[in-house]
Amino acid sequence: MIARLRQVALASLVLLGLLLTPAVGGAREYLQLFVNQPYLELHTGPGRGYPVFHVVPRDASVDVLFRRTDWFKVRTEHGVEGWASQQDMQKTVLADGSPFRFSLGDRAGFTAHRFELGMFAGQYGGATLVSGYGSLSFNSQLALEGALGQFLGKFSNGVSGDVGLTHVIAPEARWSPFLMLGLGLVHVEPKATLVQAANRTESTAYVGGGVRYYLTRRFFLRAEYKSHYVFTKRNQNEEVDEWKLGFAFFF
Amino acid sequence: METGIRVLLLTALLAGLPGCASVRDWYHQRAERRAASRAQSAPPPPSESAQDENAPPRVIEPEVARRKIKVPRIRSSNVEMGLDYGALSIEDFGTHPVYGITAAYHITEDFFFQGEAGRSRGGRTSFETLGGNVQLLTESERRFTYYDLSLGYNFLPGEAFIGRGIAMTSAFYLLGGIGGTDFAGDTKFTVNFGAGYRVVPADWLALHITVQDRVFQSSLLGTTKLTNNLEARIGTTVFF
Repeated sequence: MIARLRQVALASLVLLGLLLTPAVGGAREYLQLFVNQPYLELHTGPGRGYPVFHVVPRDASVDVLFRRTDWFKVRTEHGVEGWASQQDMQKTVLADGSPFRFSLGDRAGFTAHRFELGMFAGQYGGATLVSGYGSLSFNSQLALEGALGQFLGKFSNGVSGDVGLTHVIAPEARWSPFLMLGLGLVHVEPKATLVQAANRTESTAYVGGGVRYYLTRRFFLRAEYKSHYVFTKRNQNEEVDEWKLGFAFFF
Repeated sequence: METGIRVLLLTALLAGLPGCASVRDWYHQRAERRAASRAQSAPPPPSESAQDENAPPRVIEPEVARRKIKVPRIRSSNVEMGLDYGALSIEDFGTHPVYGITAAYHITEDFFFQGEAGRSRGGRTSFETLGGNVQLLTESERRFTYYDLSLGYNFLPGEAFIGRGIAMTSAFYLLGGIGGTDFAGDTKFTVNFGAGYRVVPADWLALHITVQDRVFQSSLLGTTKLTNNLEARIGTTVFF
């Protein structure tokens, strides 16, 4: 018991150490931008409701410290730090006079982005499914995706994981359909009441399709169907249907 | 057999489609390249040499190298990770300490996506206490482990003040999501909802107070019912 407690304490300390590392990181180079409108408003917090407490005049510069959601934390030449909105930052220019460009998280981002994350609820072979996925896009149409899910049913519980390619047929459309193909693993734990009550892990292959619907900002809905082919160690392979609906965001 | 062929055909079709995506721009690229090579091979227009003879000779060749500006990458700080500790009231099994980890991604100023995992222990039911030697669950089955994926909404953003000099941004937020709970030898689909309060004393640090209800169906005590497991926690998170 004491050894266990020590383990937990040690793990917590290591985690805390890891968490604090970025906070004490060294000096870094910041992007310098010049105000190109009559003035740049600085808010006290990263949100539309926070009051404006300072303005930076035209042609003065600000250093961009970091970005949180659609807000930029900036520092003026006089060392005043505040939050500037995405809309206002679009009107600033770089040192050579060219406009400052960055990803806005709008409809254009929905068409072409690098990463996606999302969560789903659904059915996996009749059992309730909780699932999450992540995606890395190579271009606006082709992406590598990984999904992890836990299914909880009357007769068995289990975990499934898969990796595959997704082809988005019309990335620019608001309702944009896609097709999927990949491989995975499934771990099934039958409940004790069944005769064949042995845990088993089996490899799978899937083919599927779905549709994503752009909601607003960085959000979209995603509904998909996967037909899993489970390569069992018994005489006959199995087919499992997976339906799920969820929401996701891109960045 | 028939399904096997169907899967095979679908597989071939799907394998072909991603390929088509990368092929799509080839035609345009080739046309552009052809136009570029044509422009290169074409002789310079004859009018230019005639103009040069009339123009005054250049005394100084200006050699101004255009300054290239290297744009440093802007650090994004949307991820929040941390630890928390609190009390969990497991229906019929008493209230016990709970500890957990959370990770959140702030999508917009209003919404964030959060994953949580935590662990606690169930105590003895009143039936076991009164019944003397009755044991409903083994020691390992009393372990209560949960995880969830939730969506959070910053419902009332604001600022909190300490004295005259310190102002911290804060938000009251709502949480709701789905997940699983492993308790009494079974994992149950669990719905959670709750609310929390976040204060951000520094750009990289946040303090949380959260109250959540974890609801799942249980038939442990004879009848099948929805159990409400209320949880209150305090936590510290760090922004990345």
